[in-house]
Parts: sequence; C-alpha cells; structure tokens
Amino acid sequence: MTSMRLQRMPLAPPRVAFALRVLSVVLAILTAALVLWGSGHNPLALGAKVISSTFGSSFGLEDLSLLFSPLIYCGLSVAVALRIGAWNIGAEGQFNFGALCATGVALFVSGPVWVILPLMGVAGMIGGALWILVPTLARAYADVSELITTLLMNFVAMLLVYWLATGPWLDPSGMALATTSRLPVSVPAFWGIVHWGLPIAILIAIALSLFVTYTRWGYEVRIAGANPGAARYAGMPVRTQLIGIMLLSGALAGLGGMMEVAGTVGRLQGGISNNYGYIGIMVAVLARAAPIGVLATAFFMAVLLNGGIVLQSQGLTTHTVLAVTGLILLYAAIGDEAAHYKILRTKAKDG
Amino acid sequence: MRDSASVQQRLGLTPGTPPILSLKSVSKYFPGVIANESVDLDVYPGEIHALLGENGAGKSTLMNIVTGIYKMDAGELIVDGRRRDFSSPTDAIEAGIGMVHQHFKLVRAFTVAENIHLGWPETPKRISRNSLETRTAQLATDLGLAVNPKAVVADLSTGEQQRVEILRVLARDAKLLILDEPTAVLTPQEARELFTALRAFTARGNAVIFISHKLEEVLEISDRITVLRNGEKVATEWTKDCTEKSLAQLMVGREIVLTETHKKSAIRVKAAPVLSLSDVSLKGEQDTVLKNISFDLYPGEILGIAGVAGNGQRELTYVISGLSQPSSGKIVLDGEDVTRAGARALAQKGIGHIPEDRLHSGMAPTLSITDNAVLREYGAPPLSRKGWFSPRGAANLAREIASIAEVMVPDFNMPARNLSGGNQQRLVARREMRIAERILIAAYPSRGLDVGAINTMMRYFLELRDSGVAVVLISEELEELLSFSDRIAVMFHGEIMGTCPTDKADAETIGLMMGGTRQEDLP
Amino acid sequence: MISTKSLSRRGFLNMGVAAGAGYLLPKTGLISPAHAATPLAPVAEEDAHIAFGHTGPTSDEGWTWAHDQGMKAVEAAFPKLRTSYVESIPYSADATRIFRQFVADDANMVFATSNYGDFLYDVANRAPDVAFYECDGRSPLENLGTFYLSHWYPSYVAGIAAGAMSPSGKLGYVASFPVPSVYSGTNAFLMGARSVNPEATLQAIVINSWFDPQAATQAGTALIDNGCDVLFGIMDEAGYLQVAEERGAKAVMWNTDLRRYGPNAYISSIIVDFKDFYVEQVRRRLAGEWTPTQDLLPFGNGVDVDAWGESVPAEVAAKADAVKASILDGSFNPFVGELKDTKGNVKVAKGATMSEQELYHWNWSIEGVSGLDS
Repeated sequence: MTSMRLQRMPLAPPRVAFALRVLSVVLAILTAALVLWGSGHNPLALGAKVISSTFGSSFGLEDLSLLFSPLIYCGLSVAVALRIGAWNIGAEGQFNFGALCATGVALFVSGPVWVILPLMGVAGMIGGALWILVPTLARAYADVSELITTLLMNFVAMLLVYWLATGPWLDPSGMALATTSRLPVSVPAFWGIVHWGLPIAILIAIALSLFVTYTRWGYEVRIAGANPGAARYAGMPVRTQLIGIMLLSGALAGLGGMMEVAGTVGRLQGGISNNYGYIGIMVAVLARAAPIGVLATAFFMAVLLNGGIVLQSQGLTTHTVLAVTGLILLYAAIGDEAAHYKILRTKAKDG
Repeated sequence: MRDSASVQQRLGLTPGTPPILSLKSVSKYFPGVIANESVDLDVYPGEIHALLGENGAGKSTLMNIVTGIYKMDAGELIVDGRRRDFSSPTDAIEAGIGMVHQHFKLVRAFTVAENIHLGWPETPKRISRNSLETRTAQLATDLGLAVNPKAVVADLSTGEQQRVEILRVLARDAKLLILDEPTAVLTPQEARELFTALRAFTARGNAVIFISHKLEEVLEISDRITVLRNGEKVATEWTKDCTEKSLAQLMVGREIVLTETHKKSAIRVKAAPVLSLSDVSLKGEQDTVLKNISFDLYPGEILGIAGVAGNGQRELTYVISGLSQPSSGKIVLDGEDVTRAGARALAQKGIGHIPEDRLHSGMAPTLSITDNAVLREYGAPPLSRKGWFSPRGAANLAREIASIAEVMVPDFNMPARNLSGGNQQRLVARREMRIAERILIAAYPSRGLDVGAINTMMRYFLELRDSGVAVVLISEELEELLSFSDRIAVMFHGEIMGTCPTDKADAETIGLMMGGTRQEDLP
Repeated sequence: MISTKSLSRRGFLNMGVAAGAGYLLPKTGLISPAHAATPLAPVAEEDAHIAFGHTGPTSDEGWTWAHDQGMKAVEAAFPKLRTSYVESIPYSADATRIFRQFVADDANMVFATSNYGDFLYDVANRAPDVAFYECDGRSPLENLGTFYLSHWYPSYVAGIAAGAMSPSGKLGYVASFPVPSVYSGTNAFLMGARSVNPEATLQAIVINSWFDPQAATQAGTALIDNGCDVLFGIMDEAGYLQVAEERGAKAVMWNTDLRRYGPNAYISSIIVDFKDFYVEQVRRRLAGEWTPTQDLLPFGNGVDVDAWGESVPAEVAAKADAVKASILDGSFNPFVGELKDTKGNVKVAKGATMSEQELYHWNWSIEGVSGLDS
C-alpha cells in the first residue's frame, strides 16, 4: 500500500523555484482575467492594451523606467537592512526626508550644477540616514524593535514635507499650489524624460551585490544578520555593523528621494514618495534581500504598477487594479513556499 | 503481541493483567521529519521502563503524544485497556499519566504548597495557607517524597525542586510517571534518592517511563528497556539481559568500541601555566554568576569541569574565550593580561571554543556550510586581503575542514542547519581545533553525538593535548570526565568547590562537591 | 439668461458686463489670452476622445460627481465621441503617468479636475495637439487653459446665514491644503458672518486631502469640541455635515445638495455646475476654434448657493438673499477694504476693491481666521 505525503524540503531547487514564480504570475493573471471577464470586461483586449502601452511606446517605457528607479532605491534600502536582520519599514519616511534635505540644498544653496547636484545627493543620503538614526540607536542600544519606530517616523516625515511644501517653502510665485517652486537644478535626463537616477540605482545594486559576496565586511554582515550570537562569538562588532547597515539603508532610501525630487518631479510636495517605501518592502522580500534580485523584482513591480495605470485609464477602478496586483503577489508568495515541498511516496507498513 | 504472558509473569503480575499503557503502531510526522514511525510499546504495572535513544531518536515526541501534547498521525493509544484519544494534556492527566519535564514547570516565587495546588481541580476554592500546607505535608508523607511545604521554590536545590515537581504530578493520581532525563540536573547522591523514591512508587502497582541516554543508570534502575533509533523502535529487552555494549550497539545501530584506553600525557611540556585566572568574578543580570574563580591551566593537560548544568560553566567558557568580560579579577595568557581582550583577539591568540549551544552561538544555521566553516579564519589571508573576501578561498577551506572532520557534504552552499546535529558538532569542533594553538574550550562536546562519534571527538582532544594544547572539557557525564581529563575542577553556584587530579578523584567525592561541599570540608 | 455659448472666456467677460458688475472685471491676466495661439485643428465627433482626470471618486456626491455630470452632459451633447476618465489620481508622479496614458490613448482634449501643476504641464508640453484644461490652474500654456469658480461670492452669502445662526460666533472650517481657494473661501465666509456678527471668528483645520471622509469627520469633531457651532469646509463629501447633525451644530457644504445627510444641520451649499462649460469647450475643440482660455465660472452660472436648509430662519434667509441679489445686480461688492491680515497689517486699503485676480490668488488669512497662516 503506498500513500502520498508532502514533505517540506529545507532548500528549494532554483529551477523549481523559478518555474513556480512564473507559474504563479501566469495563474494570477488568469484569475484576474477571469474576474475581469466576469465583470464584463474583455481581458484579452485589456491585456494587449497593458502590454502595448507599457512596452510598445517610448511613453510607456519611459514611465516604466521612472517607476523602476525609486523602487530600486527603496527595495535596496529594505533589502540591505534585512541582511542584518532589521526590518526597515521606514523607507517611505527616509525617502521623504531625503527629498526634503535635497530640496533644501537646491533652494537655498547656489552654485554651479556640478556642485549642487552631488551636494543634493549627499544631503539626500544624510537626510535618509538621519531619519533612521533614532530607530537605529534604539535598536542597537535598547533593543527597541525597529519595526514600529521606523514606521512611526514615516508619518512625521510625511507631515513635515506637507508643512514645508504648503508653508515656509511654498512656491512664492503663486503659480503652483501646495508645492515648493521648481528646483533650479535637476538630474539630467539621458533618454526622453528618464534621468540618471536609474543607471545610478542599477550601479548601486551591482556594487552592493559585489560588496555582500566579495568583502570581509559583507561576510560579517551576513553572519551578524543570520545569527548575532555567532557574530559575537567570532568577535565581530555586531552593534557597529547594525548601526552602519541601518544608516546605509536609510541613506539609500534618502538618495531615492533626492532622485525623485530632482529628477522626476522637480518640486518638493506632499506625497512625493507615492508609497515607494512600502512597495520597497515587497520588492525586497520577493527578492529575498539579494541586491541583484531587487533589480528583477523592482522591475516586476514597476510593470505591475504601470499596468495598473493603464488599466485605470481603461475604466477600471483603483481598487480593482490593487486587487489584481495583490493577487499576483499572493500567488508569488504561495509559489515560493510551494517550491520547498516535494511529493513523497511512502510504503505504509501493515498493521 | 509477543509472549505478553511471560512478561507479566516475569514482572510478578497475574497473567492477563493489561498494560497501564499500550502503544500500537504510533506514527508522527513533522514537515520534513519522521519523528516516530510505527512504534509499539507496552508498560505494565510495577515496572520501570527505560526509553533509550540518541538525541533526535524520537523519545520526546513519543512522550509528548502519550501526554496529549501532540496528536499522533497514525496508531492507537490504550490506557488501562481502553482506547484513548487525548485532545489535550488535561485528558492525559485525567487518565493518570503525568510527566516531569527536564525544565520544571514550577512558579519560582511560590511556596511548595502553593505550587502543588496550582491549577489542580481538587484544590478547594477558598482555603487558608495553613490547610494548604497541611494537605501538602500529608501528600508528601503518603507518597514518600519529603518536602518542606512552606519553602519557596526559588530557594530549593535542583534535586528538591524535582521532588516537588514529581509530587505535583503524583498528587494528581498519576499511575504512570514519565521522567525526561531526570538525572541530568542531579548530583549522584540526589540521583540515588530519586531512584529509591521511584522504586517505592512502582512497588505500589504504578509504572515509570524513564527517558535517558545514560546507559549506566538505565541499567541500574530499569526493569525493561526500549531502544528507539531514527523514530522507530529497535527493540524492547529485559534489563538483566543487557550490557552497556549491547545497548550502545542498539542505539547507534552498529558495533562500536567503548572507552578506549588512553595514556595520560607523560611529559608536561612547560611547567608554566598557559592561562591563569585570578579572582575572576562575573555579575549577571540579577546576581553574581561567577565568584572569585582562580585556577591555572597547563599546556598539555585536559582540565575537566564537573558540575550540574547551570552552575556557571557556560559563563566560565565565556570569560575564558573573551565573549564576556569579567566584572573583576584578572586573566593572563602566557604572561599577557587578556582580561579585556575580547573574543576576536583571543581567537587570534590561539583559543578555540566549542560552545555548548552551537546553534545559537557557534553557527549561523541558515547560512551556507562554507560561511559557517570559515567563521574563525575569514579575516586573515588567504580568505581576506585588505578588506576583500575570497569566496573561492572560503570554499577551499570549508572543503578542507569537512574532509578532516569526516563530514560528507553534498553541497557546500546548502544551509548548515541541513546537516545532522552530529555533523554540525564535528565541523565546529574541527574548525575550533584548527585555531586552538594554545587552548581549546569544549563545552559539552558530546551532546548530540552518538557513542561512536563521542569516541572520535575524545580522541581528537587527546591528540590535541598530546601536542601540547591545554583542553578545558566541560561535561555533565562524570564518567567521561573521569576517563579523559587529567584534572577535574567542580563548580557549584558559580564557584570552584575544588580541583583534584583524576587519579585521586572518585565519583563519590566529586558528587559531594557538585552538591556544594567544598573540597576542604570533605570527610 | 446666459446662453451656453457665452461661457467662453469672452462670454464670461460679456456676462460680467451684462450683469452690470463692471468692477468685477479683473484688472489683468484673466481676460487677456495667455498666448496668441492658433486654434487647434478640428476633430470629427466620431473620432474624438475626451478624457477626464479626477481627484476623487465619481461616487463622492460632491466635486468629482459634479465634474462627472459635466462629462455626461458632453456625452449627451456629442453622442458619437468617446469619453474616458480616471478617478482618485494622486498628486504625485503617478498623475503624469495617467495623463500621458490619456495622450497615448489618442485623447484630443484632457480635463484635469484639480490642480496637478507640473504633473500636467510635463504632459501638455509634449503633446501640443491635445487641448488641456486644468481646474484651479494658474500657469496657462499654448495648449492648456484653466478654469475655476468665483466661489467667494456664494461663500460670503452663506457666511451671512452662518453668522446669524452661530450663537457662539465661532465658525469652523475643514480645509484640504492651505491653497488660495481655501484662503478665499475662509475669508469670504468669515466676512459674510461678520456682516451680522462683527465678533465672529473662524478656525480652520488642514487635513492634507480633498477626499478623506474619516479625516474630515475627525476634524469636524475636533472643531465642535473646540466650541465651533457652524462648520464650513472644502470637502468633496458629506463627512463633517453628519458630525454637525449628530452634535447639534450647523454646516455649510460644497459642491452639491447634501441636506439628506443632515437635514437639521444643513444651512446651504456652494453648488457647482460644470455642464455648460464642458459642453462649450468640447464644441470649440471639435469645431477647430479652440485656443486656451482662463475662465472663472461666475456667481449664478456655474457656482451658486443652494436653497436654504429647513432650519434656516426665514428672516436670515431673506437677509442673505437680499445680499445675494445686490451682488448679482452689481450694487454691492463685499470685497472692499479695509482688510487686515492675521498680524494686523493692512493688506487692502480702505475703500480699495479686490480684483477677481486678487481674489483668485488670495494667499493670506484675514484677521479672525486661525489655522492656515503659520
């Protein structure tokens, strides 16, 4: 007598994992198509529209790139923190505050562009790092969970941006509402409206990936993230590492904010972060905190978000679009877990 | 069922007496693990039935099924001739099955009487402290377990706490008492008292399941022995038909050579100590966990540290390896003050450390075997140069360590947690021995290893000692210490009670020191 | 009676003259074409695609609903053309993506029903063949016009009733952002109230959203807790009216008739109507006449006070109605100095009249308003 049993394997074979990822996306799209069809839409036409609008025109590709870039910064920010076992839920806030600091430089420091732009980048990174500083120290010295503290800081940063953009830094010309005036400098574009923030993000992802594998510090971070006890046992400065990595995490999100304000939007205003910080959490988790993986998942999320915009212009409500995106992520998560299972045939003993 | 009549007769029972507990083809699966597979077990009134097996053999899971904590996936559980299906531990208690776990489930701030009555349906709703204590004293007399009802649990010794725990279980009319590694926390004297109480208990027609992996005491206390291996029952034997060797063979599944002879190193290479601790104390979160520890460690010796677990051994290893800095006192390594040197510096100076909880501190279980193997040497060439890390160098070193540790690794990129406990321990041991140029600290190195692996491990230590390295061996197996160490120090409540050369030591005096008697006060 | 056609920019001008309100004419800006542009080429009705980008959901029964009515009027007037719309567009780079999507989808005319600023201009600049309109916009382009409402007049009239019906003289205001339409709304409302109760004050709470019923409800509660007994605001839904109804206070609303949500609390509403404007602009676009305009829909046609609520006493209603009539016939203009800001500086000299332009760009609070100027 044979019986079948599911057995969880500790390691998912990469090929199976990849195949299940693809399968889960296909399944999610099929489910979504079924729902759309049931509600009176033509899923094939909509799908064709999404693909042609996203990949078939320079407009679509440019939009995709502009979504891709901030998602890389935020995804990397969360992924880097995850490497040392910290959950940076605050990339949203660091993104906002980085944008705010960069804007401050642009509005109040004058000089040649080649001085101001790097200065803004530095200001953005310092701003982002500053915004995670308190949660970092609380975690490092008092063992306060960064999960809550980083999240709470988001609201503060968001309101601070709102206040500055509608108050002290409000565009004095009166021509624009609830925003600062147009920044005098901007990150130059290299293709259409796509600016250098994107290639820089990709370079950072590659650099981080090399860092993790090929530096001593990268090895130490890997150990400290997987088991702080083992890191202490090997005499590694666990606390210093935690602080360093979390500040780096904040700096990455802050740089993303700088690129968004100086490259994509051109003004500081409320809602500049557009939830990129929160989506960055999904990006990092789907990438299993691997920097190169972040490039793939950030691109995937960018396609989803852009597809969502196309669907909205075809008469679907935001909620439907959110439901479809959520569905794809849910299936991907199930697929990831399922990749660990193997069907075993066992012979049951008589008795 | 094989010749149960003869079992009952040999136990002095009337033929046809049903077992108190009977398991038939019990199986239990966890994701990825077969915890128990078709286990049969009969426990009769009046017997002490030992359950023997290596760590991970499925002893605890099986007992968790019997006590209603887990539900079995297949099989039958019969208590007193009735088929039962426990849905919670309460059901098992009502059926007369009680278990004393390794970690006591007592409220430390309560008195003995309060602990006995806590969560007991028979405790009257309103009752005075006096009548609680009277009831407790009565129970203690009835059941032959001497306790002081007024004492606060936190003030009791471990042996006394265990007695309270047993009393608590027996008070709920347990007919079957399950003890999980009960002697691990006891001195030899306390263990003997426990055995006496158990015999009295079974003499009243009750039964005991005694879980252990110590062959010697199993042979001493039990009537019958059931051996588990890899979740399956290997055999149930009459104790009088067994020897340590036959049991070890059953546990491990192959023939092994026990206790090789080993010559003590004849020559002391150097007369000067390699390490000296003077008046080292360490404050814990609440109290002092190490008190005025002073000893010298000589090159080419194995210093055994005896003591009941939790008496400061772990903290001692931390202080010597630099993981903790002492609150006071001084540590000198080859003439150099290293009191505040830190773990990394001490490792570089040649102190290796096999930690007692390797999964929490010795390894990063989720990372690759390579990452774990190079934990001690990643920072120096050829693995690291100017901050750059060579994954290839790391892979080479990992292969080297695995090969001398005789661990078969299919894929060095797989997480270290996929290795068996024994293989993890072997890798860690070999990794530490590589850097242990002066000292190797080995905390409970045989935990989780089968008898054969223990022998191999001990042979490593002897070789290391003979090459002039000092080995600090911490163990709860007195026998192991007596056979392998050159000197034995005994710890109690964070202090060293005394140190003596092994050839002048015996289990009796060491047992007394483990219980808190100082060497100078020994009879 | 004003014809549909008169609602062009020139029409607005004519209407002003026709109404006899000569001093309502803006001094600059609004009447001169932003750019001497040539009209966009005509489009056949069956080929046309008109797109609407909304700030809230069309089901809000308020601002976005009113714009949606405008779209339906366009569909009725030009049944062969195609319309599309996107709701709840955030004020972020996503807005750019959505407007670009309209353009990619061959829209001939795009109406943004809120101020999306650069997010819209970036698209308009790169799509010169598409006509854009930005509601509450301020920076016209060669293919982008702006339109808004002279809502300060009905706000003043509603303020008269509010002042008369507020025993405490403390008015509350649920504000979206500190932007000109909020400044002009709060200032006009308080000025109306002060015409009957010179001691009246107004407290505003900014909730950083145009559509957030929960935040609006919380703000309304906080204002009433602070002693305000008449609420006003610029929300796209009925949240704070329900609070006022529950707490026995009064409320003046925006956009549509919302009295069913709070029959006792309801005083009136600043009613908006974009139907005629939209139909006229689409007609011009199809006919090849379209050049960008900057329109302010006038009091009485496009923006008005709603019929008074049942709890408004007859004499209060009569008084407010009389003022309304005098504004409409040009005999009275409420926005005449002297006006001071919250710090006591004279901003409008005694006897000076504020121009339409100044009212549209109002960015300071008059003395008595708190919560907007920091």
